[in-house]
Amino acid sequence: MDKIKIALAGNPNVGKSTLFNRWTGMRQHVGNWPGKTVEKKEGSFKYDQYGMEVIDLPGNYSLTAYSVEEVVSRDYIVGEKPDVIVNIIDAANLERNLYLTVQMMELGANLVLALNMNKFAREKGLKINKKQLSELLGVPVIEIEAVDDTGSEKLLQTIVKVSKSPNVVLDRLEYGNEVSEHTKQLEKIIDQDIPQLDAPSSWIALKLMEEDPEIIKKIEETGKGQRVLKEIKKIQRHFNDVFGDDADAAITDARYGFIAGLVSESVKKPKIDKVTRSDLIDRVVTHKYLGIPIFLLIMWLTFQITFTLGDPLGGYVEEAFAWLGETIAASMGEGFLTSFIVDGIIGGVGGVLVFVPLIFILFLILSILEDSGYLARAAFVMDRFMHKLVGLHGKSFIPMILGFGCAVPGIMATRTLENERDRLLTMLIVPFMSCSARLPVYALIVAAFFSAYQGWVIFSLYLLGIVVAIIVAAIFKKTIFKGMSAPFVMELPPYRLPTAKGALIHMWERGALFLKKAGTIILALSVVIWALSSLPVGVEYGSQESVTGQIGTVLSPIFAPLGFGEWQATVAIIYGFLAKEVVVSTFGTLYGIDGDGGGEEASDEEVSANETASVEQVSNEASGEQVSGETAVEEASAEEEETALEEDPGYIAVMQELFTPLSAYAYMVFVLLYIPCLATLAAIRRETNSWKWPAFAAVYTFVVAYVVSFVVYQGGLIMGFA
Amino acid sequence: MMSLAMATENENLKIVQVWHGGKFQKRLQEMGIYKDSQIKVIKNDIPGPLIVDVKGSRLIIGRGQAQKIMVEGE
Repeated sequence: MDKIKIALAGNPNVGKSTLFNRWTGMRQHVGNWPGKTVEKKEGSFKYDQYGMEVIDLPGNYSLTAYSVEEVVSRDYIVGEKPDVIVNIIDAANLERNLYLTVQMMELGANLVLALNMNKFAREKGLKINKKQLSELLGVPVIEIEAVDDTGSEKLLQTIVKVSKSPNVVLDRLEYGNEVSEHTKQLEKIIDQDIPQLDAPSSWIALKLMEEDPEIIKKIEETGKGQRVLKEIKKIQRHFNDVFGDDADAAITDARYGFIAGLVSESVKKPKIDKVTRSDLIDRVVTHKYLGIPIFLLIMWLTFQITFTLGDPLGGYVEEAFAWLGETIAASMGEGFLTSFIVDGIIGGVGGVLVFVPLIFILFLILSILEDSGYLARAAFVMDRFMHKLVGLHGKSFIPMILGFGCAVPGIMATRTLENERDRLLTMLIVPFMSCSARLPVYALIVAAFFSAYQGWVIFSLYLLGIVVAIIVAAIFKKTIFKGMSAPFVMELPPYRLPTAKGALIHMWERGALFLKKAGTIILALSVVIWALSSLPVGVEYGSQESVTGQIGTVLSPIFAPLGFGEWQATVAIIYGFLAKEVVVSTFGTLYGIDGDGGGEEASDEEVSANETASVEQVSNEASGEQVSGETAVEEASAEEEETALEEDPGYIAVMQELFTPLSAYAYMVFVLLYIPCLATLAAIRRETNSWKWPAFAAVYTFVVAYVVSFVVYQGGLIMGFA
Repeated sequence: MMSLAMATENENLKIVQVWHGGKFQKRLQEMGIYKDSQIKVIKNDIPGPLIVDVKGSRLIIGRGQAQKIMVEGE
C-alpha cells in the first residue's frame, strides 16, 4: 500500500484540529516534539488504496524563528519533507491566513489550500473566486467544511494527485524590484558557496535578509558562509540608508502587498462591513459592565456541573478502591504483602484516582468553552483586574479558576499562555487556590473547633489562598520574573459550535496524560511512603515506631512555633503531600490506633473502613455546598451526617487533645498553603520539562506556609487567643 | 496622528508607525499590524485591553501595547 505523508498547517483557530480529528479519529498519538514542550500530534487513516499519515503541525501565524512552534513547523517541512502540506485557511480571514501560505510557498512546500469556514465568510458577505485564487497562487484550492464532510472527498483526491506530481511554485511570488534584486544576488552566492543546504536557496536568502538567527547560525556552521554573511551586511546597510527601515520590514510589506493583490482580484467584499452573529454576541459578552457578571456566571455553572456530576462518580471510584482493598485484605489475610498492596498501592494511587472523574468532566466543559471561543473572551474581560493586581494578563485567570477544582488541570491550562515567564508564574500561584481535596481537611477540623462559625472559617481560608496568591505573584513579578509584563496580543476567534467529537477527544488527550504520567510518579512515591510507614519490620503501619513516625517525631519540633508540634500532626502533613485529603485519613488511622479515646471496641480494620466512608461523605457534602453558591456560611454542614467522623465525640476529643482552636486554624492555614500535592508537582514537572520548577514550588510554598502559619499562631497568641 | 489607544470605536484608521521592536513587532506583523496597514478599533473601554479589527480578524491588544501604535484617520 502506498503511503502519503500529509502535514496540516495553518493559523490557530482555523479548524486544523477538527479536520485532524475527523480524519484520524482515535487513531492518533499525542506526544511532544523531541526536546520541546510543544505538542506533537500524529495520526493515520486509509483512503482508497493509500495509507495516509497525518501530522498536525502547531498552529502559527508565520515561519520565523521567534517562537518554538514556528521553528518546529518549519524544521519539519524542511527536514522531513512531507509529501503534501494541507494549508487550512479561514475563508473569512483570507489575507492574514495567506501570510503563512506565502511563507510556505517560499519554502518550496508542496501545497494544497483547504478553504474552511466558508459559511462564516458568506455571512460576512465575502465572495471568493476559488478558481482565480488557485490560478494566481499556482496551488490547488479546495472548499471544505471541517465540521462536516463537505469537500472532504475532493480534498483527499487532490492530495493524492498532488503527491504524485508535486507543484512547487517559487516563481509566483513578487517582492518588488528592490527586494528581488538583492535576493537574486544572495541566491547566487549561496548556490556557489554552500549548495548542499536542504532548503531552497531563495528561501535561505530571504531568511538571511530577515536576520533570522537560526538560519544565520546554520550558515555560520557550514564554515563557508563568509561571503554570504558579508553580502547580507551590505544589503542591510543599503536598506537602512535608502528606506530608513530594515530589509525585514520591506519583505513583510512585499508579502502583504502580494497578498493584497491576490485578494483584490479573487475576493469580492461588501462595501460596508456586515455585522455578524459573533459580533452581536460579543456586544453583550465583552460589555464593559455585563462582561464580568457573565464570566462569573459561566464559571459558577462550570463548577456546579463539574461537582454535581463529578463528585458521585468520584465516590464510586473511591468505593471501588475501598472494596478492592477490603477484598484483597480479606482474601490474603494480614501480612506484609497485603499491607503493601492495600495501604501502599491502593491507598496511594486510589486516593488520587478519585479525582479522575472530576478532572475529566472539568476538561470536557473547558474544551467546550475553549472550542466555542468563549475562553478568549474571558481573558479579555479579566485582563483589567489581573493587570492591576498581579501584573499578569487576563489569560492567566483561567488556570487559577480551575485551581479551585484541582490544581492539575489548572497547571495544564497554563499551556494557553504564550509567554514563558507568565506561564511559570501562573503555575507557581495556581496551587494556592484552595482545591476540592482540601475541603475535607477543613471540614474535619472546623467541626471539632469552630462549629459555630464553620462557614466563615472555611470562607476565610479560600480568601486567604487568593490573597496569598496575589501577594506572591506581585513579589515574584518584581523579583525572579522581573521585567516588563509580556506584551499582550491574541486573536479573538469568532464563536463556533463545538463538535462533540472534538470536545471529547480534547478531554481525553488532557485527561489521559494525567492518568498516565501522574499515575506512574504517584505510584512510585506511594510505594516509598508506604515503605517508610511499614519499616522497620513488625511495627504497626504508620505508628510512632515506624520510620515515618520517627521522622514525624524528629521533625515535629520544627512545627512547634506554629502551634502543632505533635508528631501526629507532622505525620499527617507528610502524608498530605501525597494528596491533601490524606491528612484526614491519617488522623483517622491515628485515631483508630488510639481507639480508647472513642471508647469503641472495634477492630482497627472496621474503624478505618467506617472512617473512609464518612470522610467521603464529608467531602461530597462540603464540595457540593461550596459550588451550590449558597454563601459559605452554610458550607460543610456535615453535622447532619450521623456517621460523620467529626461527629464522633471520641474523635473530637483526640483532635482537641492535639490542637487548640488557634493552633487548629494555623494548621489549616498550613495545609492550605504548603507544598502542592504530588499530582500537582508532577504536572509542573511535565509542563516545564524540568525538576527545577517543581522543586522550587515545593520549597517556596513550604516557606510561605511556614511564615503565614507562624504569623497566624504567634500573632494570635499575642492578641490573646489561646 | 495619535496612538491607537486614543482612537474612537468603528473608525477606519491607517497605521503610521509601530514603536515596538524585536519579537513583539514580528508577532504584530504576522497578525496583520504593521506600518501602512489598516486597522479599526471595535472596543475601547478604559481601562482594559482593546479589541481591534485587522484584515477581517478580531484581535485583543493590551492598552500599553496599543499606546505604542500610532495611527491616523483615512
